[in-house]
Amino acid sequence: MLSRVVFVSANAVKSSGPLGAGLVQLSHLHTSPSSQAPVPALPDKGGKTRHGIIPEELFQLLYPKTGVTGPYMLGAGLLTYILSKEIYIINHETFAAACMGTVIIYGVKKFGPDVAAFADKLNEEKVQKAQEVKDLAMSSLAQAIQDEKKEQWRAEGRQMLFDAKRNNVAMLLETNRRERVHMVTNEVKKRLDYQIALQNLHRRMEQEHMVNWVEKNVVTSITPQQEKASIAKCITDLKVLAKIQQAKATA
Amino acid sequence: MGTCPLYDADRKMAGKRAALKAIDWLAFAERVPPNQRAMFNNLKTRSDAIGAKLSSLPEKPVTIDWSFYKTNVARAGMVAEFESKFSALTIPEPKDTATAAINTQEAEANKAAVAYVEASKARIAQYGKELEKFQNMIPFDQMTIDDLNDTFPETKLDKEKHPYWPHKPIAEL
Repeated sequence: MLSRVVFVSANAVKSSGPLGAGLVQLSHLHTSPSSQAPVPALPDKGGKTRHGIIPEELFQLLYPKTGVTGPYMLGAGLLTYILSKEIYIINHETFAAACMGTVIIYGVKKFGPDVAAFADKLNEEKVQKAQEVKDLAMSSLAQAIQDEKKEQWRAEGRQMLFDAKRNNVAMLLETNRRERVHMVTNEVKKRLDYQIALQNLHRRMEQEHMVNWVEKNVVTSITPQQEKASIAKCITDLKVLAKIQQAKATA
Repeated sequence: MGTCPLYDADRKMAGKRAALKAIDWLAFAERVPPNQRAMFNNLKTRSDAIGAKLSSLPEKPVTIDWSFYKTNVARAGMVAEFESKFSALTIPEPKDTATAAINTQEAEANKAAVAYVEASKARIAQYGKELEKFQNMIPFDQMTIDDLNDTFPETKLDKEKHPYWPHKPIAEL
């Protein structure tokens, strides 16, 4: 209880968590991880005090016996006792102590809340950073679990790859077989067609040869006299035609 | 004109020839991990090419009109000889050398996949444990420094190595 005297500004600084590590903590009696009892929450504020230093528990302790004025009477009596019995002697140091005390109390009252807020802000930042780290870790772990599950699902599909491969092999074999069959029939057909084409060629050649031979004989059988006669006839025909043309042109 | 036994042989052998399985390329594509996408695309293009080649060939070859040839070819006996030899001909089926290799590949892949799934499950269990630890943690504003050191052992200050405050190298402050 008296350790609270060390932290004079305890009532101004809200001691939360790590800052109050030195304070007496009634919580966390069970530090072993095996105990399942819930850990009581850390106190939000420091112990209540009256007039800055005297803990409230003293007043509560003495209230049943002495009422509200009890502790004050106790204090006054103690003070009187130590002064009158000269257990504490008033000297010039007393005045120095009084001045210093005044200044200190004034300073704490004026700047205490700001300092407290600043310290709290530092603490808040620490906690926030830790919280971010924790959130990030949790989300990345959840994501990792999802990804692993997805990879397992992917691995299940390996059957399809081998089906595709076997299909390819079957298709290739079938293609090959068809090609072979086609080749055979085409070759046979080619040979038969060749025979037919050969026959047709023979006939054509015989025909042409015969025609040429007949022509040649006819031409040689035309005598020179016949030729002169035919040329004369041609000339007379041409003259007649020319006359007809002239007549037509002038008409 | 009887049907060429060539075609009959095909029909008899059709049962032995492996039937083509219908492959759902879309579902297959979904399962491919991104780092193997190129291989998958290659496989697909190859399969498509093979399939196109197969469908470009007609299944039955051109039928030979023997009667026409018999009446028109002058060489005696040639057509009859061709016809008899043609009917007697059986075309050997191409040998299947690859399917065995594929089957062994598949067996190996199955083994590897089972092992992978086991490892994956172990990893999931480990992640689950860590996740649980985070979920069961007391909130930071309820922790003391001792609690913090218990939950995250790396935050514990080494008082043997650095006996004087701040118990860590100044650079790490």
